[in-house]
Amino acid sequence: MKTTGFVFDEKYLLHKTFNGHPECGERLTAIIGRLSAEGLLEKLALLKPEPANQRWIEAVHGIRYILNFEEACLWGLPDFEHADNSICRDSYSIAQLAVGGVLKGIDAVMNGEVTNAFCAVRPPGHHAEMGQAMGFCYFNNIAIGARYLQQQYDVEKVCIIDFDVHHGNGTQHLFDTDSSVFYYSIHEHPSFAYPGTGREFETGFSGGEGFTLNSPILPGRGDEAYREKLLGDLVPAFEAFAPDAVLLSAGFDAHENDLMSGTNLTTAGYDFVNDTIMDLVKTHTNGRVISVLEGGYHLETLALLVANHIKKLMDV
Amino acid sequence: MFVTESMKTDLIAVRPDTPLSEAIILMDKGNFRHLPVVDKKGKLVGIITDRDMRSAKPSSLLGKEEYLKTYEEVMQHTVDEIMTKNPLTIAPYFTLQDSLLVMGKKKVGALPVVDENGFLKGIMSTRDLLRAFVNIMGIGEPGTLLCILVTEKTGQLKKIVDIVTEENVSMGSVLVARDWDDERRAIFPYLLTNNVAGIKQKLIAQGFELLDPMGWYIDQLPKKK
Repeated sequence: MKTTGFVFDEKYLLHKTFNGHPECGERLTAIIGRLSAEGLLEKLALLKPEPANQRWIEAVHGIRYILNFEEACLWGLPDFEHADNSICRDSYSIAQLAVGGVLKGIDAVMNGEVTNAFCAVRPPGHHAEMGQAMGFCYFNNIAIGARYLQQQYDVEKVCIIDFDVHHGNGTQHLFDTDSSVFYYSIHEHPSFAYPGTGREFETGFSGGEGFTLNSPILPGRGDEAYREKLLGDLVPAFEAFAPDAVLLSAGFDAHENDLMSGTNLTTAGYDFVNDTIMDLVKTHTNGRVISVLEGGYHLETLALLVANHIKKLMDV
Repeated sequence: MFVTESMKTDLIAVRPDTPLSEAIILMDKGNFRHLPVVDKKGKLVGIITDRDMRSAKPSSLLGKEEYLKTYEEVMQHTVDEIMTKNPLTIAPYFTLQDSLLVMGKKKVGALPVVDENGFLKGIMSTRDLLRAFVNIMGIGEPGTLLCILVTEKTGQLKKIVDIVTEENVSMGSVLVARDWDDERRAIFPYLLTNNVAGIKQKLIAQGFELLDPMGWYIDQLPKKK
């Protein structure tokens, strides 16, 4: 039986960003190329996404914001709210499909069709705030996923682990005051890296105090710092929270080949990230985890790291 | 860049004959540390700070009864008895840079802004100044800090700005450390973007050295003897 689901649709390539933009369709093409060359693709349960029902998007985003985004795409504007957020006419519907991809992955896991799933979706989501597009993100896929788990499947406690090299400001802020969603992020230190949030003292507030945990990594510190923080911060916090389900904001841009950051994590360092998370997931949620692609911009490295990540998921 | 854009203008001020009991309530309620004192026409005549107020209050080591008794007596005095008369002021045409220098040199926490006729127009506190500089440096907005080492020759900054412009990225600010080492300067552009890969690539291609901030930091730590 195929134990790992793989959400993908060629339509994800239709969200076209300007020429030379790092968040481009080639990212997914590279991933598919590598998975099929390694013979992994056929071992995965392929899951076709459907566009998310707007009510799920409204679970975290304001209606005005959703409509503004749709309108910007319909107008054919070059970007939305910031020059970083390059869009085309199809971006809105593809962003809906990205959310739908995460929901599809969740369905497959929750209905027992697969143990876990990887969602190769774009545009990414973790920078998107309730009413603000940021850092190539429009809809916060992972945050919507967390609400979907709670509202559709009565899951009580959701843990989001975000190992994209950039802090997931949107996700953090959406659950700042919520003790039912634990947000953990390991990322390059905000003094040096986008978006400038995610310091250690940001721990949630009014009801959500203690349910946000940030591990900023200083530039160049790589594997050693990741090891120290994951074991010292994530593991005890995860065990104390004891989540019912786990979502991953899987970013592969902390790698030393990726010029988007300076943390210098190696391929072996990423293996350690995978192993640590999968150990936690095995002991607490029977291996149930839904992993969602965020960043990762060095194409070859991205494809390699995603393949390695998926192998770890299949191992469970 | 003028203090008038950053100073506080919705001011609460007192008269010289205001009792301390009233002044202390105003300061506590508004959570501010500097209270300007103006005459009937609105001309600045003095300022009281929370420190002036503290030294007017009875010692906290006194017994409760004695404390309260003395406290009530003290609070009947008026602000002109404890205020700093003719405080240091700045004019509305002062720049933020001026107020930064003046506050540093004179070691004051706030500067009343007064026009040429002596009327109080606003107050510039360290908190207002901090907010203004966060704005100037663009660091209130999301972005990425680059650290670039350049040799000292003309046109280096232009090259960097050109690359950033080519990539269609806005700059929050550029800081320059003039004496980085014997031959080089360090330039710190704060870019209002997540999209730095292309810029870094072009900088490297043009021969710029990107500084590893932590490598530098470690070099600066005191060496063990």
